Amino acid sequence: MNCQDFESLALALARDSLLDNTTREQGLIHTEGCERCAARLAEERALHTRVRAVVAELAGEEPPARVDAALLAAFRAHTVTPATSNVLPMLIRARHWPSWRLAAVAAGILILIAVMTIFWRSSSSLKPQRDGRAGLPAPVITPQRPAPKMGGEPPVDRDQVVAEQPKKLPKSARRRASADSSDEAEVVTQFYPLREGEDLTELESLQLVRIELPGSALSEVGLPVDPETVNEPVKADVVLGQDGLARAIRFVR
Amino acid sequence: MTKPMVPSDAELLRLMLAGDEQAFTTLYRRHKGHIYRFALLMSGQTSIAEEVTQEVFLALLRNGSRYDPARGSLTSYLCGAARNQVLLLLEKERPYVQLVEESDDGEAVPITQLIAGDDPLGDCTRNEANRLVRQAVLALPERYREVIVLCDFQELSYAEAALALDCPVGTVNSRLHRGHALLLQKLRAAVRLDTTASDAQGMRCFA
Repeated sequence: MNCQDFESLALALARDSLLDNTTREQGLIHTEGCERCAARLAEERALHTRVRAVVAELAGEEPPARVDAALLAAFRAHTVTPATSNVLPMLIRARHWPSWRLAAVAAGILILIAVMTIFWRSSSSLKPQRDGRAGLPAPVITPQRPAPKMGGEPPVDRDQVVAEQPKKLPKSARRRASADSSDEAEVVTQFYPLREGEDLTELESLQLVRIELPGSALSEVGLPVDPETVNEPVKADVVLGQDGLARAIRFVR
Repeated sequence: MTKPMVPSDAELLRLMLAGDEQAFTTLYRRHKGHIYRFALLMSGQTSIAEEVTQEVFLALLRNGSRYDPARGSLTSYLCGAARNQVLLLLEKERPYVQLVEESDDGEAVPITQLIAGDDPLGDCTRNEANRLVRQAVLALPERYREVIVLCDFQELSYAEAALALDCPVGTVNSRLHRGHALLLQKLRAAVRLDTTASDAQGMRCFA
């Protein structure tokens, strides 16, 4: 056996695996007469020992319970509505952004809101006679008005809708919700509790799950449903507790 | 007394796709550690490891029927999915955090530039040798890092790693050899740098 042959066996020799006795013996005999290969084998063995130590250290590392809960909820959502294959649970990222990135995103949102406010006010002052609703997106979902009447409804304040924030959630969930909703300038409703009498701020951790529901689901929380779009999917964010149970819901457009 | 039958991954997957929650939780418990630790070793970030674990099992929910047991183990299949997710997330992170500077020949930047973990206090208390190994692995170019994590840390066979990485077994073998050489080189450099740092600390002037 020469040094080149030995090199191809070094890893297996160090791991003591995948070698028959004859090959192993030949390799070890080679190291007795070759200092360089002996050192090479010693180094590989030391590396193998270190790797084993890291493996042992990481043996208990597992995803936190919130990942388990979120996946279980996603499984349930996936299996409960197999016929409507448009139900695609998307778990909101549980990434911990660096503070400077959060600050940058927050600053960006504030600037966007300020620019939109200035733009909207200047355009409405130029056209004072125009109907307040004409230039607005007229969201189907009207936050803070669970069951508005169709006639005589005052114009929806767009600033109020854009800046809408969940009120009963812990700060971390609000921050995440705000950052997520800013991605595509989504219009969201307030969060509607799904379990009466529970204070969400007392829960240790929460997870947001983006799902799609039939339009008829709006009526479940007292929101108006357009008969023409009743079967069209509606996006919603569901707040899950650590146990995977849904605690609150908001609708997104 | 006969031992209770342990259902195979393929059987559990079939039941899971039919809506059996127990099968899903069993399958998840069986593999979540592997996937999480693979992503953790590949990225060095728990947040990425969590996200990868979520995405891999969500993908299994959606596309689990694509898995073919005849091609290889479910572990390989899931590791392949996890690897794709990790690379995707690391690519997204790259504009913000330059984890590894690669030159054309696969050399990485000195390890000192990479000592900035998410959890500095935890880093200090961890075993020093293990910390050095993990950081040296993180400093490897991705193509070597993934092979080393799969074969050395996850103990997959070359064939299983080849399936996960979608490449020939020969490529796994050659990358593993090259990866080991780079890893040893980095560890030697890290130990040298550590020694230099502690020497310098000893010479600190308090006047």
